[in-house]
Amino acid sequence: MNHETLRRLTLLNQLSLTDAQKEDIIAFFARQEQGLAALNVVDTESVERMVHVMPILTVVREDVAAQPFTREALQSGAPDAGEGYWRVPRVVE
Amino acid sequence: MKLYTSKAETAAASVVVVDDMILTKEMPTAAGSKMLEGYRSLFDAEMITRLHAAGYEIGGKAAVGEFAIDLVGETAYDGACVADGILRNAAAEIIKAGEAKAVVGLDVNGSVRRAAAQNGLISVKPTYGTVSRYGTVPVACSGETVSVMAKTAADCREILEAIAGHDDKDGTSLSEECCAQIKSGGSIAKPAKVAVITGCNLTPDAEAAAKLSAFGAMLEQNGISVTAVDAGVLTTASAAWNILMSAELCNNVSRYDGIKYGYRTENFENIDELYTNSRTEAFGVLLKTAILYGSDALSSENYMKVYDKALRIRRVIADAFAALFAQYDAVLMPACSKMVYTEADVQADRYISFAENCYTAPASITGLPVVVAGGVQMIGKAFAEPMLFAMAELYEKEGK
Repeated sequence: MNHETLRRLTLLNQLSLTDAQKEDIIAFFARQEQGLAALNVVDTESVERMVHVMPILTVVREDVAAQPFTREALQSGAPDAGEGYWRVPRVVE
Repeated sequence: MKLYTSKAETAAASVVVVDDMILTKEMPTAAGSKMLEGYRSLFDAEMITRLHAAGYEIGGKAAVGEFAIDLVGETAYDGACVADGILRNAAAEIIKAGEAKAVVGLDVNGSVRRAAAQNGLISVKPTYGTVSRYGTVPVACSGETVSVMAKTAADCREILEAIAGHDDKDGTSLSEECCAQIKSGGSIAKPAKVAVITGCNLTPDAEAAAKLSAFGAMLEQNGISVTAVDAGVLTTASAAWNILMSAELCNNVSRYDGIKYGYRTENFENIDELYTNSRTEAFGVLLKTAILYGSDALSSENYMKVYDKALRIRRVIADAFAALFAQYDAVLMPACSKMVYTEADVQADRYISFAENCYTAPASITGLPVVVAGGVQMIGKAFAEPMLFAMAELYEKEGK
């Protein structure tokens, strides 16, 4: 991890860091490299990836139209909403 | 100790508290994060519905650390529970005070198990998929599990049986037949052979090591063979889980943008600043670090060598457990390297939970059931909860 990669990651994840936090996080990545090195000691060339820990099949059910929540209810937790819309800053100048 | 809401009016015997990772209609859910401060869900988690149906009252909510990835709750946005410099876990304090029969919470990175071990309580992290995660705040969906903490194994089991079962609303929920296996009933085979894992990444201190020794000695006194086994490949679980947990967390918390719900900054002039400043002001440093670590693992440069590698290591660890369970009925491990965490521990290393999880990650990454009793973890093969509870009850009867 270096400052340029960290800058790209913070931009991608819509975060901003102080200089002290940047140094702290770069040090964290360096520590995790040690763990990754330990993983690389294990030969996994012929090992299948394990995405689900249990043998879970895709659950298929009938499509049934329903309206569990009203628009008003869904907008009740919005930081800013009105007249049925979520209110945000102007996007197009 | 912080309870957002305490509305119980009945006796503690019928009161269950849930932690702040569980959605409740009647009480706010913040997941320990400023991002969700004051957020109120439109629906109850499935386990809340089941607890109500079984006659329990939800007595309140226990604070958790931000998105439950820390040690025992110290990163909660409104402050850690601390007494005399010692970090306290809200759920454990509620149970010790006798305010509730049990606390149901989400075990993401081992905090429930560590808290139970350090406070002399019993906890169960059931087999992945046996308790619905519908209505839990999603963090690391492939391994996080709804767990129960209580004073006794009987209370733990009683609550687990009330909330376990298939749920169509959770795509990872196992069949009713599978879920039924974790419930009591019929004769429970007493374990004959147990392995004690040694050589973990962190060496437990004298007190934690003594807990493990005492538990092993108690089992031997009851005719159960106890054999020390080197951790071997299980030592890779922490690094692999840190990758998978962070990658899943990165995706799951991407929904918090200050628009649809949650915190919105007042400091913005355009939409990009709204997104960035909302997330920057609301998220703590540990969470930001996990987001960035997960994002890096999922990047095109690192996907195969980091994320894909961790998925393969997950199978290696599952195979290692399968080999252990071919020889032994259960596996004993410490739950934590020390029986008390202090503020100084976290000040010295804010990322301590990413190392301390060397004990909890093996079961998190494989979805295996764990019962904590006597300060140690007992890990069994899938659906072995009745046998693990039997060992906990043995400890209660003879080990205390």
